[in-house]
Formats: sequence, structure tokens, C-alpha cells
Amino acid sequence: MSDDLKNNAPAPENESPGEHSTVPMWIFGLLLILFFAGAIYFDDHSGWFNPQIYAPYQSAEELENYQPKSGAAEMLAQGKKSYDLICAACHGPNGEGKLGQAPPLAGSEWVNAKGFKRIVEIPQLGLNGPVTVKGQNLDFPSGMPPMGAQLSDADLAAVLTYIRASWGNKAEAITADDVKSVRTAVAGHSAINGEQGLDAIKE
Amino acid sequence: MNENEKIDSAVDASCRVPLLALFGGAALWLVVGLALAIVASLTFHKPDMFADCPWLTYGRALAAANDLLLYGFCIPTGLGVMLWIFARLSQAELCLPLVPIAAANIWHLGVLIGTVAILIGDSTGFMWLEFPRGSSVLLFAAFLLIAISAFATFGARRDRELQPAHWFLLAAVFWFPWIYSTANLLLLASHPVRGVTQAVIDWWFSNNMVFVWLALVGIGTAFYFLPKLAGRPLQNRYYALFAFWTFILFGTWCGIPHDAPVPAWLPASSAVASALLILPLFIIEFIGWRTAWGSVKSKWDSGPFCFVGSGVDFFFLSGLMLVAMACPQISRATEFTWFGPAQIQLQFLGFFAMTMFGAVYYILPRTAGFDFPFPKLARVQFWISLFGLALFILPLAIGGVEQGMKLQNSQIPFADISNSMLPYLRVSTTGQLLLLLGGLIFALNVFGLTLKWKMAVLKKLLAAIKAPLETEEVKA
Amino acid sequence: MKTGFRVFLAAFIALGASWCGFVLAPVLQLGTEKQTTVLNSSDIYPEQRPGAATLGLQVYRANDCAACHTTQVRQDGVTCQISLTSLGKNEPAEFKKFIASLLELPQFRACSNSVTAEFQAWNGELPETVTNLDADEAGDMIQHINAGGCKAEVQVVATGADIARGWGSRRSVAEDFLWDDPVQLGDIRVGPDLANVGARYDLNWQLQHLYAPQSLVKNSAMPPFRFLFQVRKIGSTPSPDALNLPAAFAPPAGYEVVPTDDAKNLAAYLLSLRADVPLYDAPFTREIVDTNNP
Repeated sequence: MSDDLKNNAPAPENESPGEHSTVPMWIFGLLLILFFAGAIYFDDHSGWFNPQIYAPYQSAEELENYQPKSGAAEMLAQGKKSYDLICAACHGPNGEGKLGQAPPLAGSEWVNAKGFKRIVEIPQLGLNGPVTVKGQNLDFPSGMPPMGAQLSDADLAAVLTYIRASWGNKAEAITADDVKSVRTAVAGHSAINGEQGLDAIKE
Repeated sequence: MNENEKIDSAVDASCRVPLLALFGGAALWLVVGLALAIVASLTFHKPDMFADCPWLTYGRALAAANDLLLYGFCIPTGLGVMLWIFARLSQAELCLPLVPIAAANIWHLGVLIGTVAILIGDSTGFMWLEFPRGSSVLLFAAFLLIAISAFATFGARRDRELQPAHWFLLAAVFWFPWIYSTANLLLLASHPVRGVTQAVIDWWFSNNMVFVWLALVGIGTAFYFLPKLAGRPLQNRYYALFAFWTFILFGTWCGIPHDAPVPAWLPASSAVASALLILPLFIIEFIGWRTAWGSVKSKWDSGPFCFVGSGVDFFFLSGLMLVAMACPQISRATEFTWFGPAQIQLQFLGFFAMTMFGAVYYILPRTAGFDFPFPKLARVQFWISLFGLALFILPLAIGGVEQGMKLQNSQIPFADISNSMLPYLRVSTTGQLLLLLGGLIFALNVFGLTLKWKMAVLKKLLAAIKAPLETEEVKA
Repeated sequence: MKTGFRVFLAAFIALGASWCGFVLAPVLQLGTEKQTTVLNSSDIYPEQRPGAATLGLQVYRANDCAACHTTQVRQDGVTCQISLTSLGKNEPAEFKKFIASLLELPQFRACSNSVTAEFQAWNGELPETVTNLDADEAGDMIQHINAGGCKAEVQVVATGADIARGWGSRRSVAEDFLWDDPVQLGDIRVGPDLANVGARYDLNWQLQHLYAPQSLVKNSAMPPFRFLFQVRKIGSTPSPDALNLPAAFAPPAGYEVVPTDDAKNLAAYLLSLRADVPLYDAPFTREIVDTNNP
């Protein structure tokens, strides 16, 4: 028969072994061991097909464990972002305010005052001037629209916390629950009217 | 000539034109691809060489070089060798011989269009799939045509027993249409799949194309040629069966890099599959050595034997590199470094190209009926390619590991890491020049043979035209 | 194997299995992904890139920038650290004694050496950060500290060489590439990683770097992409887009270098490359924004 076919045909029985010995058992054993080791590795490192688990996390519990809780750092970072987007246009990137447009927030006694009701109501309802800030009587004819009303509780809390911790301000943080309670209390109210309106808010 | 030799020469003659079409184009693309790769690597030695020439900027030249190597050289050569092996094993002439001839031309046209598209900036952006849609359609159609002829030739066999070469080559014929069509439909057809899924499918395709498909064709060819050239039967069939099954089952799952931005189960699956791949790698190397052992000294003069034998060794080496890269601890030092390209180029130029050189050097003289114009240069090419590979791959691999370890140390500024790679790149460019020289020798031989054949055909044609017409005397 | 059909079957099983695993499953799992929210915020991530950046991605693709640059950050692990912001009514010396006794508890055995060393070196100034704890240890310690009247919080920090290099704050995840078409992850770092390059350099730097990389990074191996720019005679007034180049790379007198649309779009794309927000898949605590002490 042809050379090509002779080379690869199984040898006849009376020929010496070596050319047609079958695959020895230990190779299958090795395959099984490798398979087992692979299964152990997969069990540890695959997160079992969970699309949220990326290396180095090995399980959903571990990933949950390492989620940063919403602490002060998170709030400040988030608050800065919202401030830059929404408030900085009128109040300035460093809270310095704009003459005729918005009073300063840096060092403002209204910002640093204790309690949270007033400071939440201002962005929630809006404020008409004039107001006395740091000894100056400032008027801003167009008034402050309720810029904060569009934000979620957590976001508004973050912005106010950021304002109260920046540019020399040192006041307590505002929590999302604080915002929520104020929002429920003043739902439907109209904008605060000048300084009397601010003074009327009881903490 | 005895009966067998008569059949063999008839079979060979039937493959003549298809193989010349496939191999001729492949040799051309090999040279062009290797040249473009050198153009790309020149950027490291003189960055602003092509600063004003968008066609030859590093990214485009490298992508074109890689695709030319795969689609221009590797696949057509593999298909040609496959057709011939099927014909020989079937002991039947190549069926539908016009079909592969047409397919070869369509294929080479597709490669040309694709390469030009990459150089003008129309590459698709997917690794190993940079040829645009139009070109992909041509390549796919050409492959199907060749597959038809291959199946027909396979079906024409009288001895119904299958050889190991059959298993590997048949699997390869089946493999390519599935992976190529999937990749093209999901990534290029209209809108690719969303987000990082594109990368996952690209990795799946790349692994199955560059690693598995080339291995199937290359090892199938090696399992056919090694016994033939060594003069001993394959050692042995059962091991080959085991290697075939384990290779296709595990090899297809490798490919997802360890730190990919995908959920953890994808790289973990690849890592496990790569570890399991060690077994078929060792077994294939074992088969190769057992079959060739004892013949090494006596057959050392034979060009094809050297090429094919070294091809199997390079397959083993590049496979080991692949397994190493998938190992989590080692991948830390090899990921995103020159080690990856070193492994892939070893697969292409070390394993597949060497095996194909051996096969072509054996096949072409027998099918064309002429010898190569410079048959002794085959041995020269072997040694040049061997040294070229060493100079090309080794610095990249070693440099890659050094680069990886330095990347892990954040104290080392990145600019220093880049600069420390330059000496390695210089040596590897020298290697590339040697490989280009080897490719030129190969192309010279193939073109020379084609020219000889064409001259012979022309001579016959002229003789037929010039021959006096036979006349019959008209009886009065 | 005896027949061609059995070979076909073998190949079908093998390839079919990996097709299910690496094509079908990812398409079902990742291909239907939608935007997610940033951790501890209601911001959506990722936002779609602006128009110029989307065009810039195509320039990135056409020139195969991914042949040298990756856009994915790796992460080796994650640790927790405790940031002490207020001692309340306690004195630093008292607090140190308290911590020393705390660290003798069994659950802190693993970290006690490093934490003790850090506290011994502490000079009493706030805020003080204690590093290298895992989540359970940090959670435990926080409760003890806060119960003593102090204020501290746990911060999660991603660790890894890429992160230490400043290439990102966390690993890259699937959501980072949601809008990319095609995704250009890259697989070799001939040049630095670009996942967060938008946060590191500004527009002018990017344009100058594209035109003349060697003017900004000495001995850079990056080829200058001069074909993305036009060197032209200065008209009646210099163009506002003209690059400001150092003398060695500047055009001859009377000429200016102006970026083409491709260059501008590519620069816009590079500027849009930022992935530095924490997500559920890759959490970390964002940096404290202390505007009192910038």
C-alpha cells in the first residue's frame, strides 16, 4: 500500500510494542489531577460567573465588605462636584459670592450657624434679598431660585456639608435625613422673603 | 515506476496549478509582511522616520505586517498543503481543481484590499481582524471554495481509515468558517456588540485563529511529514488521538488575558484551560521526538526534515510560553510587555512558517515536475531562519520579562523602562532582517519554480502552434 | 476516529463549548450592560463622550495607537485604612495607650505590627492615617475608636503598581468601555497607559505631544505624528490654534503649526479618557477635598 497510508496505519499484532502501545494510565491520572487543580483555582478566583466580581475580589461577600460607607470624604467629594456644577456659577468657585448676584458663602454666619433647618430651606425654597452677610447689607434683585430642589436628599446634604467645611467655614455636616425632614416640613412653601424670612425659621 | 509511484505522481500533477497559485501569492505576502514589520520596528531606532508619512506610521505598518503574515502567508500555505495531503492520503486526484485556483485568486485579492485598507487608515481596530468588511467577505468565500474541494477530495478516499493528519486538518477546515463568521458578524457586520464584549470576542477569535487553527494545520502537516521524512511510522496513533482531543478541548478556551477588564470568571477559565494545555503540548512534542529520533543524524541533510522537525519544537516552546503567560504569578511579569508579541511571533515564524517551508519544499518540486532553481539554498534558509528566530524572539522575550518586572516597581519612571528596552529591540530588528532574508530565499525558490513551469507551459504552447498540421493525402 | 463525521462532531463539541463560554455568555452577560451609578452618588457612569471625542476614537483606531498604548489599569489588591480626624476629648498619649491595648486583641493579630509601628511614629497631629488593614479589621477597629469618643472613618484604597504610578485610582472594569466602538484596550505598553490620561495632561500638552513627543519627553520612542498637523504661513494674524513649540521643534520663521481636525478630535478623545470614579465593582474612597488646606 502507499507510503502515506503505511506510515500511519496501526501495526499488525505480531510486531513489537512501542509503535502501537496505548496511552498509559498515568497520563489520564495526570489529566484528572490537573483538572482537579483547575477546578479549585476556578472555585477561588472566578466569583462563580457573577458579572460584578472582578479580580482581586473573590466573592460577593468580600466585594460588599469593601464598599466604602458613605463617610465624610465621600460626601465632600460628591458635594464639591455638585457645587461646581450648580452653585459656583453665582456664588463663585470659592464661595466668594458675586456682587449684585449672590452673597458670599465663605465665612458667612448663616452658613456657620448651628442647626440645619435654615441652611436646607434656602436652596430648597429659594431666597429673595436683601440679606446682611458679614456685616454687609447685600441685595440681589433677581433673588435665588430654589436651586437645591432638583437634587436628591443625599446630594443636597453633600453640597451643604461641602459648603460648611470649605473656605474657612467650620460647621457640622448635614445628613440626608436632615434634608428629608426639612423637605417634608416645608413642602409647598414659597421662597423665603429676605432677612425677616430667614430669622423667622426656628431651629 | 511502480504502481504507487504512478498514482502519487498523478495525484501530485493534479494539484499543480492550485498549489502554485496559493504558494506563489503566499511567498509574496510573506516577503511584504516581513518587510513591513521591519519598517515598523525602524520607528524604535529613528522615531521620526515616518513622521510625515501616515501610510507607514508604526501602528498601521505593524497591523498590516501581522495580518499579512496570518492571512497572506500562513492560511494560504496551510490550505495548499492541506489540499495536497488530502489528495495524497486519499490516493485520488484533487477534486474540482478549478475551484481552488479561483479561490486562491479571490483570497489574494482580499488580502491585497485588506492591506491597502489598513495602510490608508481604514483598519477595523480589532486585533487580527483589521481587514475591513469587504475584504473579509472575499476571504470567507475563498475559504469555503477551498473547503469544498478539500471535502470532495477527502470523500474520494478508497481506504476509509482516517490518519492522524486527517483529524487535525479536517478539524481546521471546520474551525475557520465558524470563528471567522462569528467574529465578523458580531464585530464588523453592522454595529458591534456593546462595550468590552467586543474585546472578549476578539480574544476568542484571536486565540482560535492564531493558536488553535495554526496548530491544527501545522501539527496535522507535521504528523503527516515527520513519519514520511523520517522513514518510521508515527509514534504513535493513540497518543496522537489523545493529543488531538485534549488539544481541541482545552486549547480553544485560552486567550483571555489575566488582568482583562472583564468579570473574573473569564480570565479564570482561560487560566485553567491553559494549565490543562500542558498535557497535549508535551504529548505532541513526545510524538515528534519519538518519530524523528534515530533519523535525525541520517536525515539531517534533508531540508524538509529539518524544517518540519524544528517546527514541532518551536510549537512546544511557544505553547509553553502561552501557558506561562496565563499563570497568574508569571503574568504579572509578562503582561503588557514584549513577551506577548515574542510568543505570537514564535508561533507564526518559528512553528508554522518552518513547518510550511518544509512542506512546500517537499511538495512543490513533486507537483510542478521541476526542481527549485536553487535547491541547496533550502538548507541555507534553514540556518538563516534559525538564527534569525533566535535573534528576533529571545531579546523580545527576555526584554519583556525585564520590562514586566520593572513595570511592577512603581518607583521606576516609565521613561526609563522604555529606554531600557531599546537594546533588546535593536537586536530583534537584526533578527527580523535575517528572517526577511530567509523569506526572500523562499520566495526566490517558489517564484523561480513558477517561472520554470510557466516557461515550460509557454514552450509547449508555442510548439503546438508551430507544429506542422497533420495532413492526409487526399486519394485521387 | 473512524469517520469524517466523528471528527466533525469532536470539533463541533470543542468549538461549540468555547463559543458558548466566550461568545454567547459574554454577549448575554456583558452585552446587555447599561450605565451604572457612581458609588455613593446618583451620578450616572459612564457618560457618553462628547462628539469630538467620539470622532477622536476613530483617529485613534485608524492610526492603531493601541499598538503601543493600553487603556486599562490593573489592580493587585485592596486594603483599608483608617483616617482619624478628631480625638474628641482624649489626649494623644492616652489614645496611643488605648490603641496599644486594642491591638493585643486576637482579631488584630495580623495587622498589629504595622499599625503599632505607625502609631509609634505618630506625632499627634491630625488627620492621621493608619494603613494596611483588611475590611474586617478596619470595621472592628473603627467601632472601638468611635466608641471612645474619637472620630475616624474607614477608607478603601485600591493597591497595585499601576495605581502607585498614578495611572488610575482603581482597576478598569467593563463599564468603562460601554460607549466605545471599537474598544481599544491595547495589549502592550510600549508607551504609558492611557486610561486616565485626561486627568494628567491638558489640551495643549496633548497637541504638542502628538506633534513632537521628544519636546516633552526626552528620548521618547513615540513617532511624531506630524501628518496630523499643518505647517503653514502665518496669515494676517496668527491662528489661535497654533502650537507653542520650543525652538528646536518650532517651524521656520513666518510659519505656524496648526492642528488638523483629526488632531483636535484625537486630543479631545484623549482628554475624555478618565475612569477615576468609584463603582460598586471597583470601590475605593475618593480623596478628601480639603479646601481649607489646598
